[in-house]
Amino acid sequence: MITFKLNGKTVQGDEGQYILQVAEKYGIDIPTMCHHKALEPAGMCRLCTVELFDGRRSRFVTACNYPIWEGMEITTDSEAVHQGRKLIVELLLARCPDVPMLKKLAKEYGIEEPRFKTEDDDCILCGLCVRMCERMGSSAISLTGRGVEMKVDTPYHLQSDVCMACGACASVCPTGHITLEKINDVITRRQGVGPIPSEYDMGLKGRKPVYVPYAQAVPNTPAIDRDVCVHFKTGGCKVCTEFCGVDAIDHTMQDEIVELEVGSIILAPGFEPFDPSKFDTYNYANHPNVVTSMEMERVLSASGPTEGHLVRPSDHKEPKKIAWFQCVGSRDLNRCDNSYCSSVCCMYAIKEAVIAKEHAGDDLECTIFYMDMRTHGKDFERFYDKAKEIGVRFVRSRVHTINPVAGADDLAVRYVTESGELQDETFDQIVLSVGLQTNPETVTLAEKLGIELTKGNFCKTETFEPVETSQKGIYVCGAFQGPKDIPQSVIDASAAAASAGAALSSARNTRTQEPEVVPETNVFGERPRIGVFVCRCGINIAGVVDVPAVRDYAATLPYVEYFSDNLYSCAQDTQETMTQIIKQKNLNRVVVAACTPKTHEPLFQETLINAGLNKYLFEMCNIRNHDSWVHKNNPDLATEKAKDLVRMAVSKVALMQPLEEAELQVNQTAMVIGGGIAGMSAAATLAQQGYETHIVEKSDALGGQALNLYKTVAGDDIQAKLSGLIADVNQNDNIQVHLNTELKNVEGFVGSFKSTLAVDSSENELEHGVAVVATGGSALKPQEYHYGEDPRILTSLELDRKFMDKDPSLKELNSAVFIQCVGSRDQDRPYCSRVCCTHSIDNALELKKINPEMNVYILYRDIRTYGEREYIYREAREKGIIFVRYSLENKPVVDLSNENITISITDHVLGRPLEIVTDLVTLASAVIPNKDEALANFFKVPLNDDGFFVEKHAKLGPSEFATDGVFLCGLAHYPKPIDESVVQGRAAASRAVTLLARETINTSGTIAETVPMNCSSCAVCISVCPYSAPSFIEEGPFTGKAQINPVLCKGCGLCVASCRSGAIKLKGFDNDQIFAQIFAMNEAM
Amino acid sequence: MKIQSVIDLEKITQEHSGNLYHPDSVKVNIGMASCGIAAGAQAAFETATQAFAESKAVAIGQTGCIGYCEMEPLVEIFSGGTPRVIYKNITPDKILDAINDYQNGIDQKKWILGQMRDPRSLLEDDIDNPLAKVAPFEAIPFLEDIPFYKNQVKIALRNCGYIDPDCIEEYIAKKGYFALIQALNHSEPGKILETVKTSGLRGRGGGGFPTGIKWATCAKHDGDRYIICNADEGDPGAYMDRSILEGDPHSVLEGMLLAGYAIGSSQGYIYVRNEYPLAVKRLVTAIKQAETYGLIGDNIAGTDFSFNVKISTGAGAFVCGESTALMASLEGNVGRPRAKYVHTVEKGFREGPTNLNNVETYANVPAIVLKGAEWFAGMGTDHSKGTKVFSLVGKIKNTGLVEVPMGISLKEIAFNIGGGVPKKKKFKAIQTGGPSGGCIPERFMDLPVDYQKLAEVGSIMGSGGMIAMDQDTCMVDVARYFMDFLKEESCGQCNPCREGIKQVLDILTSICAGNGKEGDIELLEELGSMIQKFSLCGLGTSAPNPVLTTILYFRDEYEAHIRDKKCPSGVCKALFHYEIDAEACTGCRVCARKCPQDAITGEKKKVHDLNQDLCIKCGICYDVCKFNAIAIR
Repeated sequence: MITFKLNGKTVQGDEGQYILQVAEKYGIDIPTMCHHKALEPAGMCRLCTVELFDGRRSRFVTACNYPIWEGMEITTDSEAVHQGRKLIVELLLARCPDVPMLKKLAKEYGIEEPRFKTEDDDCILCGLCVRMCERMGSSAISLTGRGVEMKVDTPYHLQSDVCMACGACASVCPTGHITLEKINDVITRRQGVGPIPSEYDMGLKGRKPVYVPYAQAVPNTPAIDRDVCVHFKTGGCKVCTEFCGVDAIDHTMQDEIVELEVGSIILAPGFEPFDPSKFDTYNYANHPNVVTSMEMERVLSASGPTEGHLVRPSDHKEPKKIAWFQCVGSRDLNRCDNSYCSSVCCMYAIKEAVIAKEHAGDDLECTIFYMDMRTHGKDFERFYDKAKEIGVRFVRSRVHTINPVAGADDLAVRYVTESGELQDETFDQIVLSVGLQTNPETVTLAEKLGIELTKGNFCKTETFEPVETSQKGIYVCGAFQGPKDIPQSVIDASAAAASAGAALSSARNTRTQEPEVVPETNVFGERPRIGVFVCRCGINIAGVVDVPAVRDYAATLPYVEYFSDNLYSCAQDTQETMTQIIKQKNLNRVVVAACTPKTHEPLFQETLINAGLNKYLFEMCNIRNHDSWVHKNNPDLATEKAKDLVRMAVSKVALMQPLEEAELQVNQTAMVIGGGIAGMSAAATLAQQGYETHIVEKSDALGGQALNLYKTVAGDDIQAKLSGLIADVNQNDNIQVHLNTELKNVEGFVGSFKSTLAVDSSENELEHGVAVVATGGSALKPQEYHYGEDPRILTSLELDRKFMDKDPSLKELNSAVFIQCVGSRDQDRPYCSRVCCTHSIDNALELKKINPEMNVYILYRDIRTYGEREYIYREAREKGIIFVRYSLENKPVVDLSNENITISITDHVLGRPLEIVTDLVTLASAVIPNKDEALANFFKVPLNDDGFFVEKHAKLGPSEFATDGVFLCGLAHYPKPIDESVVQGRAAASRAVTLLARETINTSGTIAETVPMNCSSCAVCISVCPYSAPSFIEEGPFTGKAQINPVLCKGCGLCVASCRSGAIKLKGFDNDQIFAQIFAMNEAM
Repeated sequence: MKIQSVIDLEKITQEHSGNLYHPDSVKVNIGMASCGIAAGAQAAFETATQAFAESKAVAIGQTGCIGYCEMEPLVEIFSGGTPRVIYKNITPDKILDAINDYQNGIDQKKWILGQMRDPRSLLEDDIDNPLAKVAPFEAIPFLEDIPFYKNQVKIALRNCGYIDPDCIEEYIAKKGYFALIQALNHSEPGKILETVKTSGLRGRGGGGFPTGIKWATCAKHDGDRYIICNADEGDPGAYMDRSILEGDPHSVLEGMLLAGYAIGSSQGYIYVRNEYPLAVKRLVTAIKQAETYGLIGDNIAGTDFSFNVKISTGAGAFVCGESTALMASLEGNVGRPRAKYVHTVEKGFREGPTNLNNVETYANVPAIVLKGAEWFAGMGTDHSKGTKVFSLVGKIKNTGLVEVPMGISLKEIAFNIGGGVPKKKKFKAIQTGGPSGGCIPERFMDLPVDYQKLAEVGSIMGSGGMIAMDQDTCMVDVARYFMDFLKEESCGQCNPCREGIKQVLDILTSICAGNGKEGDIELLEELGSMIQKFSLCGLGTSAPNPVLTTILYFRDEYEAHIRDKKCPSGVCKALFHYEIDAEACTGCRVCARKCPQDAITGEKKKVHDLNQDLCIKCGICYDVCKFNAIAIR
């Protein structure tokens, strides 16, 4: 231990320590520029110079590298020291007048303008980069030259081979003289060396060897990439350990093998995007402006490499013309082995084009080159129509080659239009809509597990067991089951969870770990201490609203004790930080200015709970949807509005009180409405999980639409499978089937519904905790093509019936025609019925099987055999089935005037009218919903314009409603084939089980409460309440006055508004709270 | 033959003293240091060698610099039992005539600088002067009596100009290596350390750190110890070390050997500028010869002491004269200094304890060891003992290398030895200490040469450069010149030095160009003070000296530049013009004839006229006018 004097105070340090280290320990700030904790001090900038008295005389030494010794006396801030430092800063400012860090430092020293001749350098020659590079073991750069000629340079000014582009130099450069981008520019010319591409950003951005994969990654702890970490390469560096305050970095850690004993396994390995490098004619590997759709996703993302600013890679110019090429790595046997359709690319390409136009403005030209446009998802067709409306151009053509334009970074393509003309066109950028394929590692995994794969390398499953693999106990979901989009993957996931859990249901709750409950702090009577968190939402908010200004404004508001801004407030790490801050600063009210409380309020309330605060001491204001999104073109006013919103929220939250929530028992019975495939699947799943389940079916039999279907595309006999399923349901003790039963009424709410079931004239009441809506749909009875006028004109289901009946007349047919999109994708029903293309092709093949000589035609608009259904499309063409395309404006005409049925259509290849004389016309009629408005009212769930039920969230909540306790599956959701119905039935059940399994739930704290003193007993509240929550008190001093059952109250506020005596208030929306908010808003006017 | 003892040395002395004192024939020694060679000595040497190749009557030899560089090539001719006669300015065409002249009885008195009766060095006090009793030549002055030599005391330069630097035997004959052999045979290392300490010898490179203390501290630290000789002499106008290396390389080697023995090191390095090719060549020869005699190598003189010397040539960076930068360069790194918070005697070259002295310091050591600390300490002042070599240059009559006892006044050096300012100009100042030294004005000329005294007036001893300045020297321009030099030579690592000097130079340049403004002087002082305090190494901390001392002593010149827009010395072209003084002009037409611009017109014997529009201020008229009729206005 060495004792010496620091600014007159006696301090101690260890032998070998430098002054700076001891000063830091004692909280004495000494400015530095060339110092870095991880590097040997160099004493070059001299900014840390201090005065040393050695007993005889005073001199000046640098604190960073002067070793301490017993008895010395150090003054860190004498006048001479201050003057000297100031002059050094002034000299450097003269050298680099535009470096922000110097400008800031100069300001601190009160320097306005340097008194010296200025230059325009941006390197202060601190040498940090050089020392860092040395530490990295590379020494690729050095301080070269002497005196004023000194600069950071490479040997002979040439990029040297020892540079590994690790970017360590850039990371320590305080002035921005060295940037990763600059290194990038130089380095990328050399093969094999470059910044580590960020996997998350598709390599469009570099990342560090120590990194968090992306901002919201879970767990949100950094990892060291051994493959690129300098320490693992050279044994040196270890700079990170110098910075870790808690010694968390252990370079000796080894991979661990963890063995788990499990009852079931779910495979969700996902997919890998197709790598288009091998398509040499597309020049993806050679031309920077040919990008994949995944790269485009990142560019368009607010958290992406350009923060959502649309620029092309080669020159960072904003493109004016972009083209998307569909089916790259899909539906292709010539250039790759992926003959299936990847299902998602059409939709994402349209989405990208629309977003690109949103980002770059309407004058951006977006063109999509495609074969068939496959927008078969829910509401997708509408989006397609909207894209056409806003000017996205769709060209039906598969382009062969992309040619770089000499002398420019542009790209030329030559293609044939639908009318057969050759066109040349130049684009600024081309996006390859790459397909989905199974990763080779996943294939290996499947081999290890003994799982059968399809010929497209997806997991093989059965139509009626769509999440079961060929190995018992192993389940599958997501894109490994077949290429699919997010909603379908989410549905799969729920179903797989249900299936995997069914076998384990007896073990439920045996390994539950109770989360640690943070005791709630009593804030009663405390002065409000408000914390305001303003969210940047990447650039969603910060791109328009001046977030720091809003944050600083919040600081000026009454009772605000803490304020900050976050990049993403909803990120897990931010949540943890917020919890810490609430605790540390003793906050008792919190305001988050971010997005919508609809999606994010529960998340932040959870944060409050974790910090020990009642979750109702919280107010959220929406400065995104209500502000930055709608006032994009007016950033200044948007900022002011954000301030107003924050001020209003702060004034309200100050008056917030902790609220209590009532706990309710969840009735452990489930009701499934509809006995079709989806409903039965849901019921079977619920029953397997051990819950009593009631199927309410209005017809006299289980089976629904499946009763009309012949066979699946995989060749399964639907009727045989269906009978099996029905038998299982009937035999299951946990399932009660109510046939010929109608739902008359539903009362109650999540956890305790009371439904009235009517059979004939008698009514029963069923009490249940959850409900699954599986009311199905039906086939449209066509109004066109002379349907119903001739027995030879059928619907698809009627043809199926003929197959089932083994109708001998089918054998006699010489010719058959299928007309697609009958009632679908038109003005009345602007949606795709999803199943018909596959169904018709399958039936066409069946006809060919019966009579190979038969001429079979399919008249279509776009063939939508998504996923591996594509194989039968190919097979159909191989078998000679003739596909003729028509457009909505130019439908086929069926003529019955002669004996024969004559169909006129314009051939899309020949461009000439074509007449087909046929013996059979099959109309692929639309799937239509039941439009059950009564049911919608019972459960307070919405229907969309087409009459399908609207799920909670199109992507993330496809099998449940926004109303708690009510779930959705099957055709009631959207047209879908059997496998998808089975899956969604199970998914809905799975979601229901998450609720049932909790056994109790909490009601909301924001409910109405009466003040009996003021009540005039008028009973208006009782009559208006849709939930029967108010009633008269029957005994005690307030007999006859109204009271509200907190369990029944949903907090809708009807009674509050209706009460003429002002005797009812809504907790959390009390008059003083709302008026405080209004008065605060008034300030803005 | 490997020398084992003093007896061996004496044997060699006897064999070779003839060469030095009693040649059988006429001996012609041609001064063959760089200064002589530059004046034509090499050609003279070759001519003479050729002419007398077959002759036994005349032997041609070479020596180092005898000091009077103004008069080079100097040729010394003598024969057995006669005083040495030194011919001056013996260009190749004159060499044979000079020898002829000597052989024929010395007629050309004008060619002769003087004669020398006493060629013994200080180390030979105990030997009878072989020439003491011989008759001198008539009408030839004794060298010892002419002012240039009269007050010099030669310790470091004891053999320069007297022996053949390529001949170790001649060095030995001058008591060379006696100190080493005696020390190895009779003294413990500690005793040597003590001797050096007591002698009061201080580092002659400029810093003036007590050599004995440095050695002793280095000896205290464990590790592979190194002895380094700093021969990276970089000050403009200074060439003391070069002369020693060229004239007497063995004295440096012996000094290093003694240091190695005293400190306990077996490894010596000489870091010498590559611009000193002759010095390098002589060093290489000297090391080889010393190795042959077993004076360098393993088990020297049969003792346990081993010592090897390596030569490393520097690429000519001024900053490499700084010890840590020198060591970095020696290690193969970029020659840049580091903070000396951990001293090099503890951790220096290759992280080992390292003793670094300059050439002159080492050259002093054998004399001190041989003649004793008291002898050395008897010379000089309280704080500065012994002698110091200076190279006297600038506006002075006798430029050359002089070695004077410490404590002698500046006036003595400049006026008596140096002969004062030529051409009747007025003396203005003397600059000591090289580019980062200071300018000492005339009023301090009585100041004794002493480390402390020089520091008190804002200058430094430095390595021994001494530049005289007269009335025609502009002090602002001088400061600008030195700053320009330092701007180029600063290593660039630390901000005060790199950025500070750059801005100081910028301000000075603008003052010299007539763009100076009020506040510039104060800003220079502010900058100078900060650079002194905050710089990383000695280069930076002493760099502002030329500016600060010129401001201190010649502030009026700065003010004249800034306020009156005048350069009183007529140097800064933007700030003066020439005029013809009608009263002094005799109309001789010399100036008019010499003027390259034909700017001067006028008839003979009539006052001339100078056309300002044509004048380019080249100063030729000013220089050629014998009547001081060209005035600076």
